Amino acid sequence: MENLLLFVLGLISSSIVAAVIATLYSLVLPGIERKVQARIQQRIGPPILTPGFWSVLKFGYKKKIEPNVQMPGLYRSLVYFGIGIVILLFLFTTPYWWAVLGWGSILGIAGLLKLEEVLYVLMGSQSQSFLSTGMPVPDLAKGSKHIGIRREFVEQHSAERALKMMAIGSLPLYVALLVPFAMAKSTMISSVVAMQNPAYIMSSDWLSTALPSSPVLFTFPGILAAIVYFVGYVMLLNEKPFSILKAKIDLIEGGVLEYASKLRAYYYIMRNVLMFALSSIFVTLFIGIPFDPFVPFMMLLNLALSLLLPVMLAALVAFSPILTFRQIYPAAIGLSAVGILALVISLGV
Amino acid sequence: MTSGEKHVEIEKELSFGPVHPALIEPYRIRLFVNDEIVEDCELNINMAYRGIEKLFDGLPVERALLIAERVCGICSHVHAWNAVRVIEGGLNIDVPPRADYVRVMTHEMQRIASHLILFGHAFEVVGHETFATRSFLLRESFMDLISYVGGNRVMPSVPIIGGIRPRADLTESLKRVILERVDEFEEKYKGYVTRIIEDPLVMSRLTGIGFLTKEDAIKFHATGPTGRASGWDYDLRTKMDEYKPFEFNVITDESCDTKARIVVRALEVFESLKIIRQAVKNLPEGPVVNRSWKAEEMDFTTAYMETYRGELMHSYALDSQGKIRNYKIRTPTPTNLAAMEHACVGDHVTEAILTIASCDPCLTCCTRAEVVDSGKSFVLSDFEIVRKYGWRK
Repeated sequence: MENLLLFVLGLISSSIVAAVIATLYSLVLPGIERKVQARIQQRIGPPILTPGFWSVLKFGYKKKIEPNVQMPGLYRSLVYFGIGIVILLFLFTTPYWWAVLGWGSILGIAGLLKLEEVLYVLMGSQSQSFLSTGMPVPDLAKGSKHIGIRREFVEQHSAERALKMMAIGSLPLYVALLVPFAMAKSTMISSVVAMQNPAYIMSSDWLSTALPSSPVLFTFPGILAAIVYFVGYVMLLNEKPFSILKAKIDLIEGGVLEYASKLRAYYYIMRNVLMFALSSIFVTLFIGIPFDPFVPFMMLLNLALSLLLPVMLAALVAFSPILTFRQIYPAAIGLSAVGILALVISLGV
Repeated sequence: MTSGEKHVEIEKELSFGPVHPALIEPYRIRLFVNDEIVEDCELNINMAYRGIEKLFDGLPVERALLIAERVCGICSHVHAWNAVRVIEGGLNIDVPPRADYVRVMTHEMQRIASHLILFGHAFEVVGHETFATRSFLLRESFMDLISYVGGNRVMPSVPIIGGIRPRADLTESLKRVILERVDEFEEKYKGYVTRIIEDPLVMSRLTGIGFLTKEDAIKFHATGPTGRASGWDYDLRTKMDEYKPFEFNVITDESCDTKARIVVRALEVFESLKIIRQAVKNLPEGPVVNRSWKAEEMDFTTAYMETYRGELMHSYALDSQGKIRNYKIRTPTPTNLAAMEHACVGDHVTEAILTIASCDPCLTCCTRAEVVDSGKSFVLSDFEIVRKYGWRK
């Protein structure tokens, strides 16, 4: 009984510490991303804290604007759901949660990620911004082409694209996620970390400096899976070249277009924490260094290595155009094939 | 639903603009789509009516020409030049050869700056920010040179009736600076173009979309690089007396797609560099302006020339006091956009916007309307046009 109480206290305190650190840290990532992009483009770029931290703060103080949507209550709540989902996603990969009801497993991660993708479909189907069909232009005046057909808001088209991305676009990420679990022959994160970093699992010292002895990343299937994971990461974050569901040139921002003031600040928090959570999951699963709030060295190492994917993302974004489904379908199929190859090899290993 | 002769099923309509973060000028795009495929398109460009032609009426010709330069900020020189060509043609005013050389040189400098704006915009639409920002960086060389020649980056005001402003005459040191800058630019630009052509992702976005056949280009009168990218060998510079002393190639491409429209412009920049070098090196000695003319009554006279986007027409008459009557301007964008309305059918939605942008639309200089009714000319506002004739008129 006493052990259970201690565990629950540990779970709560570690979750609070981890969530606070992750949220604050994630607010720095967009600044780093933008700085790298700017340097590639021979620009100075914004100060590091501006795109993540100060813009969130600024939007927090903006005048409240009611979103122009079908069900405002639902639309507003989606962003809160989103924050909850990405924070839970991150927490499930921290050591205290590994023992809770099997959530610290591939099922927990994949389930929450799928839920996060569904949010964009819901947001898109709700939002009805002024910037497309709602514009007061006499489209249906005499002489106009095709009167009487369904007129769609750009956000609704974004929702359709989000469905397509759910069906195929995010497939590579899920295939890549399976590889470390297949190598550990377990569905639990604890087994994946134990396989790579037995010293950490064995140690109970809070000053432990256990480094992984055999990271998945340094194996052949691990490298293949890491590459596929990175591309899947870009797809899930809806960043270029896979930002078709929020392509600025036609859909502007997609389903999140109507989030303004505080809601926009929350959306930024959601997106930033997701960016960090997916990076942290990569470090945990592919390198074997979990985010343990009670072992400072491991936590700092996880934070530092979590910069890897955002920096690579920034470089990719700077050099990539937006791909259309003409290119996304073959790319997703090809990457999934590479992921499946890695999976087959890892099962052999 | 039907579109023309072909029967097409249309699932829905997507509309963008005139206020849209990706449209640099206001126009309305209505795409009629099946899933992601565009089956039909409607472009409404008359969103920023300025009535600039009406401003000319009754002005002394010298003052009116200052307004002509302000028709467009990107092709200011070509509007000013063509405006003076009308009166020079109508009143048989001789232009010194040295002035023609400087006019041609400024024209080609602005052509390069204009093409680089298109690359910037097109790559912004493609989503490739690095190529877009590089394009604007490269453009700075020529913006500087234009300001050295004319004293202003955007409105150099080089041509005047009978020649050029004396301040735009080239000194020996300026000639040296121009040649040096052109060499520097060419080296950087070659690297830029090579990187674009060798980028498989960018090429996959540009290739095989926005087909416009030569027959359609001629039918819609899609002039300039837009028509030349469909294999139509039509460049008014080959017929202009001012260009007779210069050697250059007319770039055409048979690919007929969006990539061709970008590539033709990319290669035209090298031809412009060639012309600038010839103009500077072979600049004739002599005066730069002929002031022995007098504004007098002139019949309607028309001047055509090859601007950066295609064929440009200016036309006006002078009354007995030398004041402008019935100024008319026809820019290439309306016909080019009509061609793009046709070309984007079959593209994905995101590609259709790129196809429309690939004709380098410039709307501020083309959104005007004039309706000739019973022999009397009117300039109507948007509202009046819609009320009287319906939207598509």
